[in-house]
Amino acid sequence: MDFELNEDQQAILEAVDRLLEQHAGPTRAIELFANNTYDSELQQALEESGFSNILNDMAMEEGKLAGLEAALVVEAVARAAGVCAIGSQIMLAPLLTGKELTDQALEGPVAICLRSQIEKPVPLRYGANAKTLLVLADSNSDDDLEVITLGDGDMESVKSNFGYPMGRLVNTSVSGTKLGADVASKVRNWWRLSLAIETVGTMEAALNHTVEYVKQRRQFGRAIGSFQAIQHRLSLCAIQVEGSRWLAREAAYHNAQDEAVANAAAFAIAAADKVFGESHQMSGAVGFTREFDLHVWSMRLHTLRQELGGLGGHRKAVVAARWG
Amino acid sequence: MEFDWSPEDSQHRTEIKAFLDEVLPENWEEMSSHGPGSDVQAHYSREFCGKMAEQGWLTQHWPTEYGGKQATPWRHAVVGEEMWAIGEPRGSQYMNVNWIGPSIMEYGTEEQKAHHLPLISSGNVLWCQGFSEPEAGSDLASLRTRAEKIDDHYIINGSKIWTSYCQHANYCFLLVRTDPASKRHKGISVLLVPMDTPGIEVREIPSVVGDRYFHEVFFTDVKVPCSVLLGEENNGWNVVNTALQFERIGAARYARATVTLDKLAEVATQRGLMDDPIIVDRLGEARALCEAARVLVYKVIDLRAKGSPPTADTQVARVLSTECDNAIGRLALDIYGPESLEYASFADSNYRLAMTAGVAVGATEVQLNLIASRFLELPKE
Ligand SMILES: Cc1cc2nc3c(=O)[nH]c(=O)nc-3n(C[C@H](O)[C@H](O)[C@H](O)COP(=O)(O)OP(=O)(O)OC[C@H]3O[C@@H](n4cnc5c(N)ncnc54)[C@H](O)[C@@H]3O)c2cc1C
Repeated sequence: MDFELNEDQQAILEAVDRLLEQHAGPTRAIELFANNTYDSELQQALEESGFSNILNDMAMEEGKLAGLEAALVVEAVARAAGVCAIGSQIMLAPLLTGKELTDQALEGPVAICLRSQIEKPVPLRYGANAKTLLVLADSNSDDDLEVITLGDGDMESVKSNFGYPMGRLVNTSVSGTKLGADVASKVRNWWRLSLAIETVGTMEAALNHTVEYVKQRRQFGRAIGSFQAIQHRLSLCAIQVEGSRWLAREAAYHNAQDEAVANAAAFAIAAADKVFGESHQMSGAVGFTREFDLHVWSMRLHTLRQELGGLGGHRKAVVAARWG
Repeated sequence: MEFDWSPEDSQHRTEIKAFLDEVLPENWEEMSSHGPGSDVQAHYSREFCGKMAEQGWLTQHWPTEYGGKQATPWRHAVVGEEMWAIGEPRGSQYMNVNWIGPSIMEYGTEEQKAHHLPLISSGNVLWCQGFSEPEAGSDLASLRTRAEKIDDHYIINGSKIWTSYCQHANYCFLLVRTDPASKRHKGISVLLVPMDTPGIEVREIPSVVGDRYFHEVFFTDVKVPCSVLLGEENNGWNVVNTALQFERIGAARYARATVTLDKLAEVATQRGLMDDPIIVDRLGEARALCEAARVLVYKVIDLRAKGSPPTADTQVARVLSTECDNAIGRLALDIYGPESLEYASFADSNYRLAMTAGVAVGATEVQLNLIASRFLELPKE
């Protein structure tokens, strides 16, 4: 066991951070969000730099995946508020492209939803720009996965306040390639993992922003971060973020096993709500404005909380995996 | 970064499990429900630790010169997890091997080492920790128990409180003020005091935690030779800080919590409670908490294994372990319902252990203060 990055992992993080300095950050996120669109440059840059297939390329052994290395990239992109469908690009697409779908390249952005959300469409992350839609059964008891190539007009743009460009399916009769239960349950686990990891990066950034703010904002003649009531609540948030981070990284290292990903998501998604509440409370009124960067991360947390059955769904998955 | 146990450590876990299977008495579960301070567990710990010592496992993480095998902190963690998971048959002796022995190695005289270390490593001596006082709890540095040096003796006067395990203890790792003019952290010393010294009186404090948990220890003109001083006089604060650096997570509480939670899920299934979405939700929440506590404790062990100085990661892990204990404690009460109201029932025994987690070994708020200053670097008041 080793909690420090090895040389390769360090190099990956440095490279992805360099790329993100150019292609991400709150200012860019705000700009793209205003047009409800995604960052095609970031998606392309990640692809060209080889990050898209890190899950397969960095694997040490045949039949294994480099889950942890992929997770480090997803975490970094989320932390930098990158506006691309990072979870599906780095964690889901590589499971299918050239493997389960030999004749079909999975084109990004990839949106993902549950079967019932086809019949009753809801706003989906990156939906408006999505080229591919992955559809999973609502429950894993009769799991299946459908990979749908989207055409013009299949999706419509949806205005949302929750931090990601959104779109909704309008052509509810779309269909694609059906893949069996085995692949479906694998995709389900990696989706859960990517939710946990994205939540970690996003929460961390929201918390860091808040910690910096309370250090410099003064009221009653002192920094508000010197009040014990504030300190304790921020410490509790930091504990939540750390717990989420290490559970998710461990689950990624073990390549998204049922129980580990459910624990990671259940913990991180519960933490997200706490971090959202505390970071906004401590940022005061300015925290709700568009010019204050907090919303770039905080509002996203609520989107992440909605996916794959939400907190209740993740906790149910924990119980099913451990005691089912 | 990687999260695998080494094959050797995994192998050791298998050996320890087999050993526990073989040596623990049939009524162990019932015995362990009385708690580590109980007469029956204190007595049994001598037998059990003796057997651990015979295997060479009790102090395997100690350096070879003191009879250990220099086993890594990871190997030691495997032992801790397996012991706590089954109800800690080492009783209070986990303290001996975790930090009392190591402090004596670091600060003790040759004579102290020669006397105490073999006793500890053979598993046949009990210690207690005399730190807290009625007026010195979280603010431990304000302690007042006085040790006055007269010729080659100290005369101790004062009292300690909440002292676990002291009714059976042979020795007390005692914090005293040796310099009456000193303030706070300065002027404090550690004395290794035999509990059968005249003038020491132990009184039990009845509590809702259970019998034999809390005691007050009174010291009236207790005369001990100066040779019981550990480390330099007036440097006791440093001794204790090194000793306890990692001890906030010395007990693998999450390992116990995991076993308890598995049992609760089994009971919930038997009673048809798995159809109750609230119970399912709480089981899922508690399981994730347990796992988060475990992985955060591992992070601290990793630092320790690398010889890095301790960080506020210890406090982070500690606070989450407390949350985990509390969540499972409450869940046990709710799954067993009114049955849990009976003393020494499964839920009751578990809850009594869990409910003190946020106070014992330092209040949660004090841990949060440290996280705020060291981890988040927030400004002082
Ligand atoms: C089961 C158990 C076993 C124990 N065993 C031992 C033992 O073997 N030996 C021994 O020496 N001691 C032992 N203790 C004592 C333990 O170390 C103390 O209880 C602990 O340090 C807290 O001190 P206190 O109880 O005096 O609480 P206090 O210091 O009076 O604190 C009460 C409450 O005030 C709040 N508080 C205190 N300080 C602050 C602060 N700075 N900021 C914000 N809030 C604060 C916290 O909510 C805290 O819980 C044991 C305690 C328990 C519960």
